[in-house]
Amino acid sequence: MSENTVIELSNISLSYENRQVLKGVNFKLRNGEFCYLIGPTGIGKSSILKMLYRDVEPDSGTVRVTDMPVNKLSMKQVPILRRKLGIVFQDFQLLQDRNVFENVAFALQVTGEKPKYIKQRVLEVLSMVGLSHRSKNMPGDLSGGEQQRVVIARALANEPRILLADEPTGNLDPKATKDIMEILKHINNRGTAVLMITHDYSIVKKYPYRTVRILDGKVQDLAWKGDKLVPVMPRA
Amino acid sequence: MNLSYVIKEGFAGIKRAKLAATTSIISLFIAILLLGILTRVAYNVYVQAMSFKELIEVEVFLFDVDDDTRAHIQETLEQNPLTLEVTYISKDSASAIMREEFGPGVEELVALNFLPASFKVKVDTEAGVDQISNFVSTMLNQRGVDEVKYNEGLLRVMESNLNLFTLMGAGLGILILLAAVILVYNTIRLTIYAKRELIRAMKLVGATNKFIRSPFIVEGILQGFVAGILSVGCIFFIFEFMLPLYLPEMGLLGWPYGDWYILAGAMLGLSLLMGWWGSRLAARKFIAETYISG
Repeated sequence: MSENTVIELSNISLSYENRQVLKGVNFKLRNGEFCYLIGPTGIGKSSILKMLYRDVEPDSGTVRVTDMPVNKLSMKQVPILRRKLGIVFQDFQLLQDRNVFENVAFALQVTGEKPKYIKQRVLEVLSMVGLSHRSKNMPGDLSGGEQQRVVIARALANEPRILLADEPTGNLDPKATKDIMEILKHINNRGTAVLMITHDYSIVKKYPYRTVRILDGKVQDLAWKGDKLVPVMPRA
Repeated sequence: MNLSYVIKEGFAGIKRAKLAATTSIISLFIAILLLGILTRVAYNVYVQAMSFKELIEVEVFLFDVDDDTRAHIQETLEQNPLTLEVTYISKDSASAIMREEFGPGVEELVALNFLPASFKVKVDTEAGVDQISNFVSTMLNQRGVDEVKYNEGLLRVMESNLNLFTLMGAGLGILILLAAVILVYNTIRLTIYAKRELIRAMKLVGATNKFIRSPFIVEGILQGFVAGILSVGCIFFIFEFMLPLYLPEMGLLGWPYGDWYILAGAMLGLSLLMGWWGSRLAARKFIAETYISG
């Protein structure tokens, strides 16, 4: 894997209960790149993300994240892998009994950071997502868009090189979707690679980045041709 | 690992899942209290049995032997590991005892001087009937020994009852312990299930399983501590206030080995151990089986 690549899937196959989802998938994400992963429901998009944070293991092939051979890691090394990733889901997964500050601080407490650094870093990431003024609010007091911004702040707390987002705008209204996309764009501009699953073609069109889809168990690069996304023909 | 975070979370865990924590504490409390009562009663039964055994003496009756033979028999008795104390009763002493016990009407009988000299032997209360029987057989083979007597029947009945009581007590104790561990295990499992969102979030941000487990174990130990203190308090209340007040005929059932802190310490220690063990068992299994993606 070259130094420029942060994610590499080589010849990945995956099946669930005899149903093959991925067949010989090859995919690379470069350092600082933004990439959409699209495709119909149940095609295996989320499975790719799950393999990257080692919640699922492929039947065959290799998964690498930065310098880590993900599917060869021992269970003890898995948390170290996850600290290198920022993970954002459609359902916000915030802890409802803790306020915004505590939800973000939690990501740093589990890695054993010092309280002084935690306070400083939490305020920093909350300001990055525009929520400094909401630090004492409980998740229940926030709108969906604000909750998702807290999740992004938590994902950024450990300064990951890669952000994985599984339909981060899936539950949001257009205004909140725009806010989240602007934040992701900003994060990407600061050098963090972003791999985002989405069903929303309007986002893909409005914020044009590299786009890949899963078709017949394989990953295929797409490009806009007028109003349509069409496969990019491999160069001869 | 951030120890203050783990301890804080352990305490907070009890506050957040009050019902589960209370259930766990109550089950542990009942189990430890029952074990405490069982231990205290069993110890007193054992002490009583031993004091009965102390009353049992082995009597070694002698033929009319010379002093050397008598001294040799006494030496043999004293050297036996079961022997605690040997008392020589001469023919004259035996007559005096008879006179004292039966009164003035036995003078003629005593004058016949038919009572043999004997040794009264106190044996170790820990010795079993079979050991005492062997001892008796050995003594019967000694030159100069006419007869050896002891209350074998009573001793056998007492020993078999004590064995039965010990077996039943140990079986009951193990059952209570097992039930308590299963209860703690299940309660902590439910607590963990109720906190699966927290566990998923912790895994998501890269917490190690050990780190995720630690607050649950702290919680289990805390539950064990509270249950232990409650059960020790209850033991004091039952044996020091309730029984003397309402069942004085039972007499005072003493603390095992004479000091209150031995049983109280054992109960508290066991409660802590079970809280730790139950929570560790449940946490290890269910945290490993919790996946980020549900």
